[in-house]
Amino acid sequence: MDSTPVFLLTGFLGAGKSTLLNRLLSDPEFADTAVVINEFGDVAIDHDLVRAGKTQVVRSTTGCMCCTAGSDIRTTLYELQTLAEKGEIALRRVIVETTGLADPAPLINDLIPGGSPAVGLRDHVVARNFALAGVVTLVDIETGEAAIDNHFEAMKQIAFADRLLMTKTDLVRDGGSTEGVALFRTKLANANPAAQIFDGKTSDFNPSMLFQARAYVPASLGDDVIAWLALEEAVRAEKPRAHGQTGAGQQAVDRHGDRIRTFTLIREEPVVPAAFRKFMGLVSAAAGPRLLRVKGIVSLSDDLTHPHVVHAVQHMVHPPRKLHAWPNEDHRTRLVFITDGIDPEPVQKLFVAALDNQPSRVYRRFTDLGSGLKNLFHAAVTRPKRDETRKMENS
Amino acid sequence: MKKFMNPFAPSRYLPEKASQIKEWVRMRHGLGDDVVVAVSELACRDYGCPDIETVIGIMRPGEKIETIRVHKPIVDIERDDFK
Repeated sequence: MDSTPVFLLTGFLGAGKSTLLNRLLSDPEFADTAVVINEFGDVAIDHDLVRAGKTQVVRSTTGCMCCTAGSDIRTTLYELQTLAEKGEIALRRVIVETTGLADPAPLINDLIPGGSPAVGLRDHVVARNFALAGVVTLVDIETGEAAIDNHFEAMKQIAFADRLLMTKTDLVRDGGSTEGVALFRTKLANANPAAQIFDGKTSDFNPSMLFQARAYVPASLGDDVIAWLALEEAVRAEKPRAHGQTGAGQQAVDRHGDRIRTFTLIREEPVVPAAFRKFMGLVSAAAGPRLLRVKGIVSLSDDLTHPHVVHAVQHMVHPPRKLHAWPNEDHRTRLVFITDGIDPEPVQKLFVAALDNQPSRVYRRFTDLGSGLKNLFHAAVTRPKRDETRKMENS
Repeated sequence: MKKFMNPFAPSRYLPEKASQIKEWVRMRHGLGDDVVVAVSELACRDYGCPDIETVIGIMRPGEKIETIRVHKPIVDIERDDFK
């Protein structure tokens, strides 16, 4: 029996994975595709941002890579296989979308022969029925280079890919010039000479090119990839230690949450568009590259029937995109933040002050974030005031 | 919506630092070309686990992989950490 191909879809935070998935799922060629969304964060908002239609979409977790709790990808695949055997779903392929912060090594070890050992019936069923058929990594041309320099996961995501997709290349084509794109392509080719590289914004690009089943051969990707897989397996096989414990003789460390943080801001009432724009601009300016990712659904006061999806990646705040309808009964504004060294509290306070239109508090909360970018602040808060004055004069 | 750019964003230069760490480990342990050294930064977001640590694997032919854990991000590792 042929194995069901499993594709890993990865890429650093904000690279465009959910956008690509939505495009795939609207294509009849991708019917009978199961999507596994491997999420990180305390609110499963990716679920809502992927238009599922009749596609089987399930959620799995990343687990913890520094101790014993592995990912649950095998359990998820086993459950999909069970559903397929009962005739409840048709299963032609599986796409596993990883969180942007995922190290792909543990997932790949769970999916390749010779990776993590099979320890029970479940693992044997998965090994017999599924095969890793490709690793697709998306790289945002605007933020990709900084991500590689600053986040080890981003570097590994590129190294493990057998297909690389450059995203947002239209944003750097200055007057139609493709010089920047060519330069970026060369950098990616240097980082991973074995991967095929695609440009997602060329007219002949078709996402199905990325998901044609092939044999995924880590050995063809270079020594680093083989070594990382072996190292990951060695770390996993080391004497198990419970969460929260360091090994004997190791330096005691109390630092969890010191760096990468995820938190959610929720607001019951619809938000005024100008106030929301002000908030996003200020938090982006203050946090800069420490704002790894913001994504969410917003209820705007001037359009209650349509939710708007917002995305920000580091210093780039993208325009809100209108959805046709709310994905479920929850019509609250929900924003998921993933940050590098930013506490939730000042962001929460800035959120409240900006949306409640309290300029003096906004200033205080903005400086709490520690940027000192006063000029940007003044530009952001004085412009609406002048607009308001004009409106008052005209009325 | 307006986009803000921060030209002063610091870089951790991770690829270069990883290569440097491999060299330090090779020198410290006198490793030959037939030994593979892997460097990885592992992050854990579960409560109580070390937030981030660097794991180095020394892979000698025919031997079990030797791992060295340093409870620091890659960027903070210095040559003296391998003394």
